Amino acid sequence: TALHSFRGCAVREFTFVAQKPGCKGLRVTTEACWGRCHTWERPVLDPPYIHRHHRVCTYAVTRYASARLPGCQPGISPLYHYPVAVQCHCAVCTTLDSEC
Amino acid sequence: DENVTLSPGCHLHPFNVSIRSDQRGTCRGTHLAHACVGYCESSAFPSRYSVLVASNFTHNITSASRCCTIAKEAKVKVRLECPGGRHHDELEILTAKACRCDMCRTSRY
Repeated sequence: TALHSFRGCAVREFTFVAQKPGCKGLRVTTEACWGRCHTWERPVLDPPYIHRHHRVCTYAVTRYASARLPGCQPGISPLYHYPVAVQCHCAVCTTLDSEC
Repeated sequence: DENVTLSPGCHLHPFNVSIRSDQRGTCRGTHLAHACVGYCESSAFPSRYSVLVASNFTHNITSASRCCTIAKEAKVKVRLECPGGRHHDELEILTAKACRCDMCRTSRY
């Protein structure tokens, strides 16, 4: 399926720069989540008058990995922990573990 | 049409609203209204360090998401037919006029 017409939520390769104060940045390639989830808003007769079904493509099963950042100052741990998506799904965004 | 409903994006979707009104629920009406239904893009990835620090290292994941929302709505009057045809009630309901992939809201409603 072409990406422009893909519906659903899947694990997808993702590259970011792991960076924290006292170390140099490092490009890290990992697995993250991407997709299109079924969402809707429907008027209803009673308050609050809009019934909403909002779901986002996010991590269902997560493991953690560590990168070793270069050029860290003395006393600064070079380890940078980040999540790796093992499985993704459409779900409500939870502020327990996510920045929504 | 089917191609529109199946393609990604956020589209107007007709549905029938059935209303029973007055205290005893004896007046009835139905009306075609529109909802917004679709598939909008969303992704989740490792949070930046500043986000980690700000959340006391709890928000490990950042969600960048769009959801199907009602961008423009209108009120429509629904005429309710009462038994015996002696009187009619009118009720206003909302209907979607335009849809857009926009900010997701986490609330249940």
